[in-house]
Amino acid sequence: MDADSDVALDILITNVVCVFRTRCHLNLRKIALEGANVIYKRDVGKVLMKLRKPRITATIWSSGKVICTGATSEEEAKFGARRLARTLQKLGFQVIFTDFKVVNVLAVCNMPFEIRLPEFTKNNRPHASYEPELHPAVCYRIKPLRATLQIFSTGSITVTGPNVKAVASAVEQIYPFVFESRKQIL
Amino acid sequence: MSGQRKCPDCGSSEIVEDAHYAQNQLVCADCGFILTEGLLTTTFQDEEHLQEVTYSRSTGQNEQLSRCKQRGIKRVQDLCKVLYLPAVFEETALAYFQRAIEHPSFHLVSLEKKEILVGCCVFVTCRQHNWPLTMGTICSLLYADKELFASVYLCVLKELELDVPALSLTDLVKTHLNSFKLFQSSANIPAKFAEDKGKMVARTIQIVELASETWLVTGRHPIPIVTAAAYLAWQSLQPVGRLTCTFPRFCKLAGTDLPPPAHLRLKELNDILLRMASQLAWLRVLNVDKKTVVKHIGDLLQHRHFLLKSSFSSGDSEDQSATAAGNGPESSPRAAGCSARAEGCHPGGKQKCSSVQRPLLPPCLINPRKRLRTAALSPSDQAITGDEAISDSEIEQYLRSQEEMQEFSKAQAWH
Repeated sequence: MDADSDVALDILITNVVCVFRTRCHLNLRKIALEGANVIYKRDVGKVLMKLRKPRITATIWSSGKVICTGATSEEEAKFGARRLARTLQKLGFQVIFTDFKVVNVLAVCNMPFEIRLPEFTKNNRPHASYEPELHPAVCYRIKPLRATLQIFSTGSITVTGPNVKAVASAVEQIYPFVFESRKQIL
Repeated sequence: MSGQRKCPDCGSSEIVEDAHYAQNQLVCADCGFILTEGLLTTTFQDEEHLQEVTYSRSTGQNEQLSRCKQRGIKRVQDLCKVLYLPAVFEETALAYFQRAIEHPSFHLVSLEKKEILVGCCVFVTCRQHNWPLTMGTICSLLYADKELFASVYLCVLKELELDVPALSLTDLVKTHLNSFKLFQSSANIPAKFAEDKGKMVARTIQIVELASETWLVTGRHPIPIVTAAAYLAWQSLQPVGRLTCTFPRFCKLAGTDLPPPAHLRLKELNDILLRMASQLAWLRVLNVDKKTVVKHIGDLLQHRHFLLKSSFSSGDSEDQSATAAGNGPESSPRAAGCSARAEGCHPGGKQKCSSVQRPLLPPCLINPRKRLRTAALSPSDQAITGDEAISDSEIEQYLRSQEEMQEFSKAQAWH
């Protein structure tokens, strides 16, 4: 298998984290009383609200900042965030949906070959860090993309980055390095 | 000193250098006349050259550094002494510690973390000089929590921008086996259990290399593998008396801990050895099982490259027989005999041979655990843009009705 040939790699996005602001103070007790599917964590001062249709969990603070996790694409994240803002509006708050931003994207990708991690680490020294006593995978950081990849010996790679495009380019960048450290026939 | 000095008083030429209360003097041996005197108050420069009192032991250091730094420096020095590290390591570790403690992320942390920081600096120094020290050892010396140590260690690497080479397994084997108490017979250890260190280390290293070629080492803790390999090596060097000795008993005799994953590693190693044994002609007739394969480890290790190639499929069975035949003329005469036999086995008993073969993969792929994978987006989901209109009915499901709210506040009232 040549590294240059086009290999279709399935990148499965498992989580998208986004934030938005409601620009108004939110009464958490009221949300906890009148909202269904709500958990009120009084000790830390936040409310967890779960939506069903886009499977999303939102953390709501009284300052009006909301963090949504659990979406499987950037569009779905926005979809869920807007529904959440609408729900808060229905509860009686003067919500304005602003400052929506996708903060983190987590994706998983499977390489069709196994990878020899000690060899890979040796070839990619400053960026790759491998501590078998701590974690079974190599942690590879791509600074310009602000992406982190966890490379397992089975060929499975977990990528986290600021958006979906960064995640896709991180996988593209790592492929040739991972390819050259793949398991060869003995 | 040019030329012999003469005492101005009595004229003798026997002048000795004497340190009187750490103050150097030139004194005439005959009459006691003091020719020259050192300064009563010396500077730091002088004291360092004279090496009378080291800076770290004088009060000078205590006045210039804060108590936290002093304590940390002392701990680094103590740790280096306990581990019998060379002086160079101590200096490097001290330099790292002093750099780290200045950093805001380590300056205002709990005492526990500062203690762990000391351990991290020593650990990083050892790894950079390829001195095989494991995190487990440092954590046990400092009575530190392993997870906290891990987080502080990663923080140190990031903040100080250090590059740490990988742990060398060969060195780790040598160091770990040094702590075993099996190398001479004593009250606890009968003569037949005592073993020569050199032979045991060599064979353990070979078994560990075999393990790393067959995916047993990647991503796992190194110490359980070394312990399991040491046990197999020890048994195989004199199988007659030692087959009955169990793994826990071996560890007790050696005076070392038995880490929990070591049993699994032992099982995996035995599995690999059994597969290799099935490829050796003279072992196939002997019907080795996991208890008796230990006796033949010496032979298996000698021919391991050939045996690994033939016992694990590389995907294509045609390739397999070709490489086996190709290897025949290259390896020793015995192995050539084997390959001819193996080839003979292939057309005749291809069914049996292929069922024995197994792809050379990490153990977690051979026995995969069932994992719930989130399904990929369906086509309708993929068409979401995020800006669709929101219907009221959709939102109603997330709001409580009046009755529900009253019930809820009643329930809360009982709180």
